[in-house]
Amino acid sequence: MKKVLFIAQKELCSYFRSPIAYVVLIATITIFNIFFFTIIDYNQESTLRDVFKVMEFLFVFMVPILTMKVFSEEKQMGTMEFLMTTPTKNIEIVLGKYFGAVVFFSFIMLLTLPYYFIIEFFSRPDRMAILTGYIGIWLEGAFFISIGIMVSSWTKSQIVAAILSYLFLFFLYFSSLLDKYTSGLVQVIVTYLNVMTHSENFIVGILSSSDMIYFFSGILFCLMITRISIDTKIWDNV
Amino acid sequence: MISVKNISKQFGSCEALKNISFEIPSGEIVGFLGQNGAGKTTLMRILTAYLPASSGQAFICGEDVSLNPLVVRRKIGYLPENPPLYPTMTVKSYLRFAAQLKDVGIKYQKAQVEHVLEECNLLDVKDQVIGTLSKGYKQRVGIAQAIIHEPEVIILDEPTNGLDPVQILHVRKLISRLESKRTVIISTHILSEIEQMAQRVLILKKGEIAADSEIKKIIIGDERKQLFVQVRGEESAIEKAVKETNSLKQINIECLGEDVFEVHLENTNNASHYNELVQNFFKYQIKVVEMKEKKGSLEEAFLKINK
Repeated sequence: MKKVLFIAQKELCSYFRSPIAYVVLIATITIFNIFFFTIIDYNQESTLRDVFKVMEFLFVFMVPILTMKVFSEEKQMGTMEFLMTTPTKNIEIVLGKYFGAVVFFSFIMLLTLPYYFIIEFFSRPDRMAILTGYIGIWLEGAFFISIGIMVSSWTKSQIVAAILSYLFLFFLYFSSLLDKYTSGLVQVIVTYLNVMTHSENFIVGILSSSDMIYFFSGILFCLMITRISIDTKIWDNV
Repeated sequence: MISVKNISKQFGSCEALKNISFEIPSGEIVGFLGQNGAGKTTLMRILTAYLPASSGQAFICGEDVSLNPLVVRRKIGYLPENPPLYPTMTVKSYLRFAAQLKDVGIKYQKAQVEHVLEECNLLDVKDQVIGTLSKGYKQRVGIAQAIIHEPEVIILDEPTNGLDPVQILHVRKLISRLESKRTVIISTHILSEIEQMAQRVLILKKGEIAADSEIKKIIIGDERKQLFVQVRGEESAIEKAVKETNSLKQINIECLGEDVFEVHLENTNNASHYNELVQNFFKYQIKVVEMKEKKGSLEEAFLKINK
């Protein structure tokens, strides 16, 4: 477990040493701020419901930029060989990198906390709905990161990793649009896979075990595939 | 210390290693030689438990590489062909990270980082970002990460690749300092380097061991030393003088100019045989201009094996 922390720490530091991370951080927070003030001003409601919806939409674009380098860069630079010839288990490498990215993402989330304090200052918001909303979008972000990391473990090219991540995330986010064109079991599967079906409940203040299972099993599945990809090295030269 | 038994490795239809077996005792420095694609890097990757072998077994310090990869990696320091460095990290933070992953106790990490910084002459760049270092420094940082956990076995894949002569000298000195304590495996294309550093070479050819012997034996076994004598005189007299020297076997007489000839003889390293030859030349009034012996080189032996 110690090594997971060491790798996560190194990963986190590498985010702050890269200009991409600062660009993502500043751009994301700026866009969040603009939407927050616009939504609050337009709705005149003491709720963060619509702000959360904008946030999750922006995650679809933000997360692949954060995760595209996680494994691709290591493969490109040859440092994967360094990591894998140290007495470190492959699962520790995967978890360390995942937690590093999740902590960076959580830092971005922390910077949105003033939104709550602002509406708390001016009115009486539904605190539970805000709390579950934060839990929901945090889980959604953590799920998206696991997808990005899984894809990054398949290729040496950061661009390919980013494009593939966008494909996966777009499918998960916009699959509700396919409802009209599907039926039967396929429709059930497409609806279940749609990430908004599950995040919606959190945002309106409902904590349901099936939604939790969706996010946790999704994260677990992606990390498992990442580990298999690292173990087998089948995508090493892609 | 290192025992390899019938190791084979296939990449699809390509057989990179074919039934390789050898043993390296503790404290020995062995050079892996071979053309590009001969299987050197694959063999090193199998020994470091980075790649699994398709068949066969490898043991490092008695531990099976495929069954106990983590234990084996603790005993091995490995420098891949391209030093695996993070360009945005400083030398010190990178070595600290390497120490953390290589199970150096938290209490000793700082001291161990300082120790390898000193051992690899990196103290003056310890706070510099790796991306800004010269190739020679980067190579030394790569070696520093390989030895930070005091491994019993060090595996270096082309440690002087792409370095200038001064940098090569630095890296060579560093490697020769390591060898007193540990078993070292080095692969390189620069054969003169192996001649200076290693005691034994293992020559790979198309995934098979083409030669495995002490360097001296490979050189002598490949080509006996030759004696080159430059003389001035008549050709017939020279031939007579050489023929009368029964102890030395003539290989060739070459005309270099007017009355100047070079006689190639098989060398016996026996001073009395040389005396006999010189006396015979004197008898026929032939002047000896120069006498030199040509040693067989590892390069010649290597080229012959790889023909």
